[in-house]
Amino acid sequence: MSAQLGNIVFIVWRESVEALLVIGILEAWLASRDPETRRSGRKWLWSGVAGGILGAIVLAWVLTVFDDTLSEDGRQMFQTAMVLVAAALIVQMVVWMRRNGRTLKRDMETALTGAVERRSWWSVFLLALLAVLREGSETVIFLWGSLAGRPVGEIGAPVLAALAGFAAAAGTYGLLQLGGRILSWRLFFRITEVMLLCLAGALLMTGVGGLVDLGWLPGLGRLWDTSRLLPDTGVFGGLLAALTGYRARPMGIEVIVFAAYWLSIGWMLVAPRPAASVRPA
Amino acid sequence: MRNRHRLALAALLALLVAPTAGKAEEQPVFKLEMADGRLTPSQLSVPAGKPFKLQVTNAGTATAEFESKDLHKEKVIAPRATAVVSIKALAAGRYDYFDEMQPKAPAGVIVAE
Repeated sequence: MSAQLGNIVFIVWRESVEALLVIGILEAWLASRDPETRRSGRKWLWSGVAGGILGAIVLAWVLTVFDDTLSEDGRQMFQTAMVLVAAALIVQMVVWMRRNGRTLKRDMETALTGAVERRSWWSVFLLALLAVLREGSETVIFLWGSLAGRPVGEIGAPVLAALAGFAAAAGTYGLLQLGGRILSWRLFFRITEVMLLCLAGALLMTGVGGLVDLGWLPGLGRLWDTSRLLPDTGVFGGLLAALTGYRARPMGIEVIVFAAYWLSIGWMLVAPRPAASVRPA
Repeated sequence: MRNRHRLALAALLALLVAPTAGKAEEQPVFKLEMADGRLTPSQLSVPAGKPFKLQVTNAGTATAEFESKDLHKEKVIAPRATAVVSIKALAAGRYDYFDEMQPKAPAGVIVAE
């Protein structure tokens, strides 16, 4: 029983971490902006979070109630589209933050014109929404399954465990905010940028797996097997896979896409920024 | 940006209208049971090179999630529910599967031969 409660704490924390990374970093980034950017940015960010929570509940309900009527491929397409869009948005977000990171914190004359800015805020909104929606719906289904069917007297302990999981997640979020304040902006951004790009890589790997499963991409055979050395399952391996895209038994296509992803990211980070993007408006 | 929206919308539509009927041909069905982290059988032999179906029953009290990175599958299964997962033809080899909601439990393996 207590093992199962510990499990609830861990699962709730783990499912929240991905969304927390995205939201926490965006929030820390916004906190360092000028008051006006901060105000409008927060509005978009937190509407996305709220929409994501609402959507997660609806999605969980749809997935449970209409389970038999949804086709397997349809579900796979939906999930694959979600992770691929999320990965693309994260990369776009990193690029965007990079461009705006250099300008002065306080009196930033934003380089973005009105239209571009609005589009960027839409991305913030959509990214927060997707981040919460994806893992949130699983958390809802998991908690619902863990609570339903229990006698009323036995519901207290798992509810507390779930709350402890959320508290741990909130603590992680607090650490991020603290990091944003204590560390220099440059260092904080370096670290979080790498975390976000790793996460986008992980989402991309999940998406590629989905495309292979749908038959839209060839698998190209298994390249190697390091599952004995470092499995991609279990507490550590599962987290590593979820946050970096590590695969113990990668297929050819996974290796190609992963390598192409990091090569283009590396190129993007090393290549000199076009002058136009930093010119003040 | 607009293209991405369109992609998401297309996927959503596909989800809504995708036909639910299975393939006409009969595929062999293999049974798996998940019960709060216990996987039975812990090793399942299937023929290589042929598509098949997995009938996964959650016999436990907690929600289970059949997951396999090797098979590119994820499926949440409520307590006392059964789900069917279609697997495409596999190359000979070992494919791990596990209950994502029980990270401490050992993984099971599907052996295609």
